Amino acid sequence: MNPPSDVPGDVALEPRDASPGLDGFLPLKVATSSIARRAKRTAISGTLPTWLILIPIGAVPLVVGVWLSLRDENLISPLPSTFVGLENYRTDVFNPTFGKALVVTLMIMAIGLLVQVPLGLFLAVLLDRALRGTQLFRTALITPMLLTPVAVALMFRFMFNSELGVINWALGSLHLPRLDWLGESTAALLAVVIVDSWQAVPFIMLLLLAGLTALPQGPREAASVDGASAWQTFRYVTLPMLTPVLLVTIMIRLIDGFKLFDIIFILTRGGPGTDTQTVSMLDYNTAFTFLATSRAAAIGTVLALLTLPVYFVWVRVTRIEQ
Amino acid sequence: MRRRRSFGVVAGLMAIGMVVAGCSSSNNNDASSSKSGSPTNPAEINVFTIPSPSADALKKMAPLFTAKTGIKVNFSSTEYGTAHQKALLSIKSKQGAFDVVQFDNTFLPAFATAGALTPLDEYQKSDAYDINDFSPALQKYGTYGGKTYGLVLSTEPFITWYRKSILAKANVKPPTTWDEYQAVAKATNSGKTHGQIMGYGTGGGDWWWMQLVWSFGGQLYDKDFKPTVNTPEAVAATQYYKDLLPLAPSGALSFTGDDVTIQYASTQIAQMIQYSGYASGVFDASKSPVAGDTGVAAVPAGKVNAVELAGWNIGIPSDAPSPDAGWQFLEFALGKDNAKKMLEFGAAAIGRKSVTTDPVLLATYPYLSLLSLDTPGLVVYPYPQLVTWPEFDKACSDGLADILTGKVSVQDGLNALNDKLIPILAKEPKV
Repeated sequence: MNPPSDVPGDVALEPRDASPGLDGFLPLKVATSSIARRAKRTAISGTLPTWLILIPIGAVPLVVGVWLSLRDENLISPLPSTFVGLENYRTDVFNPTFGKALVVTLMIMAIGLLVQVPLGLFLAVLLDRALRGTQLFRTALITPMLLTPVAVALMFRFMFNSELGVINWALGSLHLPRLDWLGESTAALLAVVIVDSWQAVPFIMLLLLAGLTALPQGPREAASVDGASAWQTFRYVTLPMLTPVLLVTIMIRLIDGFKLFDIIFILTRGGPGTDTQTVSMLDYNTAFTFLATSRAAAIGTVLALLTLPVYFVWVRVTRIEQ
Repeated sequence: MRRRRSFGVVAGLMAIGMVVAGCSSSNNNDASSSKSGSPTNPAEINVFTIPSPSADALKKMAPLFTAKTGIKVNFSSTEYGTAHQKALLSIKSKQGAFDVVQFDNTFLPAFATAGALTPLDEYQKSDAYDINDFSPALQKYGTYGGKTYGLVLSTEPFITWYRKSILAKANVKPPTTWDEYQAVAKATNSGKTHGQIMGYGTGGGDWWWMQLVWSFGGQLYDKDFKPTVNTPEAVAATQYYKDLLPLAPSGALSFTGDDVTIQYASTQIAQMIQYSGYASGVFDASKSPVAGDTGVAAVPAGKVNAVELAGWNIGIPSDAPSPDAGWQFLEFALGKDNAKKMLEFGAAAIGRKSVTTDPVLLATYPYLSLLSLDTPGLVVYPYPQLVTWPEFDKACSDGLADILTGKVSVQDGLNALNDKLIPILAKEPKV
């Protein structure tokens, strides 16, 4: 055993910092803990300005939001609001309307991911090959991502017009049946996914392309030398190496999916009926149309809680990546 | 590890906060509330508007008002989707940000109940405003609970619009009853020509349905706020509404206000039921290809000669720093002398008798005669005067979509809607 240390504070550190490799070198331990303390102080002072900004704009609204969700605040009532506990959660979250909105949200997310990720990956792989005209193609593909979702949705709303829209005109020219894009449930859902994908695919492509560019060439070249086909190289070498980037991309899109509002607001207004009404849209209606602040806060709180698993997966993926 | 978990929880909670913050109230007033001068004699006033031709016309009136009174008028504009929330938040928190506030008539009960508006009954007795220049129906347009909270900023009843050439080709006359409307629609519906169009879409289609319910002799709720949307009259109206759908262009299930007019002006459609406020667009030959070919008539009559009335209101917030100056501006812009000028400045017409009977104006704007709303036997229905209107409206719109898309029968759909409206109307305060 090592002799007890005379250095104040070292005893307190011993149980936590004890490690077999350092036990016999107390001066080194003292130096290490001192460095650690200094590093901690630097970290705190370095991040303090950020926390000073984040707490008022993050934590305060959070507390106020949760507090609001437990009251009956609405803009119409002339009376002061009162504490109602979980009543808003009972009436506005645990009901069929919220359930349907959640299903619609998850459906749009799921269908969107099924379309967007493979397409984005395909385009990224294609552009990674540095073929002729790649730069031009890349610029053209990125353009949709740069446009405002509201403007995009307005443009598509005209394009989806059954009689005047270019999409049905194109379908008719190809002797395909014309669709009532915004008036029929399935078609409206499809329309939302199409518009969302039009903007999201370039984003996914860009992230995956960055991931592909950062991958080391060695393993791929080795696979090629070993006689692996292009598909085998991609499937067994490139794709596993790209998995962390792919997962992060999917996480970002999942969070985007929960937030999806502007496109639907312009394109379908959640219709027909409530067939394309997402949770965000429902929340908007409750807050801004019904003027029911507390009920909207309850929906917002639950919506945020629903995104928490995505956050935890994100943290895990980031660790894997590191 | 514990620290990481703590950080995770904090970060997660922050995520909640950001979302909730996005949903909860925000209060950014664009207008400067700083004024020099006293409340009774201010140097400037602030006006809250919602983007619309009427708001644009008010802005054009402002320099004239300033030249006359020396009071500068500042405008703050917020798009419709968040305008009422923003105005209510500002007024309830007594910021004194605005002296005049524009609002949709559908929000009149909510604003009045929240104590957000100043009663205007005394103000509007002034000769310059001349309340008697309005028909009785329009005199009541801004009242709730027996008090006047809003002036008429625009008068926009449903009217029938028709294409003269299409009706002439089919050898039919403009309809005066709903039976005739359907007959004209059937007679003209062929090939690329559609018999009619009205709103069927989410977020507004129910406004057309309400017109039909009232025309067919039904009501949406009784005096005790019990919903009555599944009565035989309402069922007949809804069946009629649905039967007309095949005579409308495909895609009509997603059309509401603007879409209906765009479709009418861009394609071959024999008739349209639409608010008169769209007149400036439809009759503008520089924008509308159907300007010269469009005629207008009163909305068809049914069992009841009913007409749905829409239009903007404008009033004085209860926290207005200078309510008298605010009234001065309203009286100047909307009073008898300048109502015609508002029309010339592009606003939707104000249904004053002096406007709707002016021969010079009628020569240019033939639809004006339909805005006086004083025809004997005509029953004028503003939107349901409900504090819970937004929820009521949404429930009706959603319920009708299920009926129109064939998910449920008319009777079953209306029964379900009636059940859905019970808890909403139960929240309605008894006024």
